[in-house]
Amino acid sequence: MKPTPMQTIPLKQSRTLRIEILRHNPADPDSHPHLQVFEIEEAETMTLFIALTEIRQTQDASLQFDFVCRAGICGSCGMLINGRPGLACRTLTRELPDTIRLAPLPGFELIGDLSVNTGKWMRGMSERLETWVHRENIEAIDIDAVEQRMAPELAEQLYELERCIECGCCIAACGTAQMHEDFVGAAGLNQIARFRLDPRDTRSDADYYELVGDESGVFGCMTLLGCEDYCPKNLPLAVQLAFLRRKMARQGL
Amino acid sequence: MQIIYTDVLVVGGGLAGQRVAIGARRRGLDTIVLSLVPAKRSHSSAAQGGMQASLGNCLGGAGDNEDIHFADTVRGSDWGADQAVVRMFAHTAPKAIRELTAWGVPFNRVASGERTISVDGESKVISEPDESHGLITARNFGGTAKWRACYVSDGTGHAMLYTMSNRAIAEKIPVHERMEAVALICDGPRCCGAIVRNLMSGELLAYVAKATCIATGGYGRIYRVSTNAVINEGIGAAIALQTGVATLGNMEAVQFHPTGIFPAGILVTEGCRGDGGLLLDGAGHRFMPDYEPEQRELASRDVVSRRMEEHIAAGHGAQSRFGEHLWLDIRLLGEAHIASKLREVKEICQYFLGVDPAQELIPVRPAQHYSMGGIRTDHNGHSQTLTGLFAAGEAACWDMHGFNRLGGNSVAETVVAGMIVGESIADFCASDAGALTVSTTLVQESLRREEGRLQAIANSTGDESVYELTGLMQDTMTRNVGIFREGEKLQEAVADLRSLQQRAAAIRLRSTARGASPELVATYRLRHMLRLAQCTAYGALQRTESRGAHFRADFPRRDDSQWLKRTLARWPDPDADTPELSYEALDIARMEIPPGWRGYGERDYIAHADSARRQQQIDALLADVPETDRAARQQALMPFRHLLPAHLRADNQRVGDGQ
Amino acid sequence: MQGLSGLLLVLFVWAHMFFESSILLGKDAMLWVTHMFEGVHVFGEPYPQLVSAAALVVFLLLALHAGLALRRLPARAREYRAIHTHLRSIHHADTTVWYVQVVTGFALFFLASAHLIQVMLQPDAIGPYASSDRIWSGRFWILYALLLITVHVHAGAGFYRLVMKWGPLTAANAAALRRRTRTLAIFIVGFFLLLGGASLATYMKIGYEHRALVGERYVPGSHADLNGGE
Repeated sequence: MKPTPMQTIPLKQSRTLRIEILRHNPADPDSHPHLQVFEIEEAETMTLFIALTEIRQTQDASLQFDFVCRAGICGSCGMLINGRPGLACRTLTRELPDTIRLAPLPGFELIGDLSVNTGKWMRGMSERLETWVHRENIEAIDIDAVEQRMAPELAEQLYELERCIECGCCIAACGTAQMHEDFVGAAGLNQIARFRLDPRDTRSDADYYELVGDESGVFGCMTLLGCEDYCPKNLPLAVQLAFLRRKMARQGL
Repeated sequence: MQIIYTDVLVVGGGLAGQRVAIGARRRGLDTIVLSLVPAKRSHSSAAQGGMQASLGNCLGGAGDNEDIHFADTVRGSDWGADQAVVRMFAHTAPKAIRELTAWGVPFNRVASGERTISVDGESKVISEPDESHGLITARNFGGTAKWRACYVSDGTGHAMLYTMSNRAIAEKIPVHERMEAVALICDGPRCCGAIVRNLMSGELLAYVAKATCIATGGYGRIYRVSTNAVINEGIGAAIALQTGVATLGNMEAVQFHPTGIFPAGILVTEGCRGDGGLLLDGAGHRFMPDYEPEQRELASRDVVSRRMEEHIAAGHGAQSRFGEHLWLDIRLLGEAHIASKLREVKEICQYFLGVDPAQELIPVRPAQHYSMGGIRTDHNGHSQTLTGLFAAGEAACWDMHGFNRLGGNSVAETVVAGMIVGESIADFCASDAGALTVSTTLVQESLRREEGRLQAIANSTGDESVYELTGLMQDTMTRNVGIFREGEKLQEAVADLRSLQQRAAAIRLRSTARGASPELVATYRLRHMLRLAQCTAYGALQRTESRGAHFRADFPRRDDSQWLKRTLARWPDPDADTPELSYEALDIARMEIPPGWRGYGERDYIAHADSARRQQQIDALLADVPETDRAARQQALMPFRHLLPAHLRADNQRVGDGQ
Repeated sequence: MQGLSGLLLVLFVWAHMFFESSILLGKDAMLWVTHMFEGVHVFGEPYPQLVSAAALVVFLLLALHAGLALRRLPARAREYRAIHTHLRSIHHADTTVWYVQVVTGFALFFLASAHLIQVMLQPDAIGPYASSDRIWSGRFWILYALLLITVHVHAGAGFYRLVMKWGPLTAANAAALRRRTRTLAIFIVGFFLLLGGASLATYMKIGYEHRALVGERYVPGSHADLNGGE
């Protein structure tokens, strides 16, 4: 039986972490964005979820941040960790330097401190790109009958694209999205790629072209590949964007 | 003061809530969903392994049907479930999965031909039937006779929730995100909506609705070690309890999942064991067959969790500096299988443990996972005591899980309940009872009362810390109301919780920040959670038997003669320190399967006199019905289809039909 | 469109490098190439207007490319602030390379325009001595050195991003494609910088040696056989 690191990693001298948090409470007219520094003792297997919770509980009860699943599944806790977007809940402090700077994800409406309104952005994106299966008479499906068949490989390919957790890291990592507020970003374009691949969706390339065949869609992307590099779920975004670009370019011609 | 009027108010944006909303919306009702977080971040997304539905497509599921699903669920519940509701559920689950499939969920499919699987620690080659190629496949789960858990890799809940949310967006259902219902508006025994707090701005507003449906999930966060999301604080159930009118059912029925990663408590799916993974002890010995020769690792969760803790207590745990734990071994499933069918598990192990599960063992120990208890409703999801209040999903106790839920039945329940409750809400709104006349004065009073409560918290000059008290509550629940319970410890918990309730009145906020104020949120939620915890602890103390997940070391046997009944908790006196308990008997004479041995777990139980009588009656009733006509046999014992909405009554077709 | 115009410009620049570096093979070779562009090999006599016309086409392409690129750049103060905050925070290689492209692109708009306008106005001033005189005695080496560096960094990065924009076919090959394209782009840039640097040095050397005779045109001596048309 192979031992796990839990047994083999020797107890290290614990560090004092210096956590610098970019704070701002828009609900308070007197608040201005500023860095606040907290110091905490690092614990074994401490994640940023644990660290931030401890800071709120013991040092500053007004600190705002979002965690839901704390298991890297729900996408709530995207933030800039030393300048790079990532999921705070599954970031272990032992992988970070002694000084950790945290800031809210840029490109989204700030709710307070590290909490941003990714939900509003994503809902807007969903409404705009109509990210659902379009088919005739969807309200009158025969749910007693055996389901339609699908190639097993196709189902797996669909799930590959369906794994997006809408955390917003790709938007925060994208220079284009940072500059152009109406750019749908990889999160949006990946959705189009996902539904385009789905045979249950009856939309044609002409329909998709209407949605993303412009500068706020696939042709706005400058291929900076921040999305590909910082996607916490390692979605194949570069491929999907290239694929969609080819299809939409053909459609546009 | 802002008052929003709607027909239907759904509190909770997970799978159940959104499906309820879609159902009501399709019946032409104005429907608004409230959600603590963006709807797609709801805890439904964390369901990994699968959704039970008896499609019977894959080889392991061949011959499956509603009857077997029903029987598995009833046995899983340790006969605590309402069998009519279980029937409704088992019958509707295939329809639910087919609807979701048509809406876009990419369920994994059967690939015909040979493949290698891992069974009982050994490799085995099986051949999937050609006629099922491309139909929805399933994996094995605990406590089930067939492979029935339909899955999307191990992101089943995520895929379902996204499809459901997208469908809700397509149907233009408004989801008011980051909004928390902090109290129900009640006109005597009639629920008229909710007082809602905006979690971004901190402002209070009122939603007035003909029907209010609570779908806020479970209350796992009253425990310290839980697989639940941090938002699973049971506030929906708590505000129902606060009315003093609505009842909560079986709050002591709390499930512990065998495989929470140690020590963080993050879930790794039952699919790990379903696909062939094994549990090993500190010495690397596979111990489950010693305890459970019938189902081994795949007995129901209550049984496996108990056996694991028993094994640790007997000194066989693996040691680590965080304490003792056991090992989950999925190495034998192979790298390719893990990378495609258990990829969330792989990620979780990598990020939180630094372990590659294809090469190394996963440290696990049981962790709080699911709340079988919740707002007591009838089979339509309607509260029996508070008109206009509905509940669905984990927040509800309509009662299909009894004292233990089977893996994969919860995501299935959310959608099925949504399909049924959405319709019953629409029926209610169309009926005379659904008409609502509510005075603005009543709404304003409710609003002012809540404002007063929040103001009192803000002004409190006590010296208690909300975070410290929360920790104490979680500690006492984990220590005293966990997997193994006994009178003394439960009494200690009840006393602890009483004292915490008093101390909670003296919480002083240290932050005066405007807006959302997370500390204020924690404080008003703690008061709610303490009451839920007390319902759980107090209910557990009173129930002097062991049933499903509720195990009393001092009363280790299931006692059908005394305890074949559901606990109902009410909290009519706001100043009381314990709930008012009453009991609702389960009628064996109307059961399709009278109580007996589950087929795993403890064999010893105290039988009810009616059980044998009912069995004789069943034998007599079935004597004249041909064995081939299973619908007629079922109908003879316990008719249920009339309880379902008309469009959900038809038979489910299967690929093997007519052969 | 931006990509396409960029691609054409990249191809033009790379081809251009080979033509101008003909000086490394000797003055006669360079003269032959010059004559080729003046149409000597086709019409029998030089038409420098052809060079002007080609320069005009490239200039228009450049203007188009710049115009299209401009839309992507931060136009408002908010956008400008956002991208700079982003760059400072994320330290992401590809994004930084893009920013280098923005800066070089901006520089190129002036440098390349200057070069092209000069060619358009003095299309006949290309040749082993004419060019060298301009480079050395006319101090054009400063322009060309800057142009050389900026254009190749810009073109190399453009090439890399163009491949990543359209190229990746499968998730499995995307990472490998990216790695290889990056290596290739660095190699190409290095190669052209060396080639261009060597050519420029050669022109400078010839210009230096010829500094006393500025204005004199090169007349091939014993290599008349190379100039088949004459």
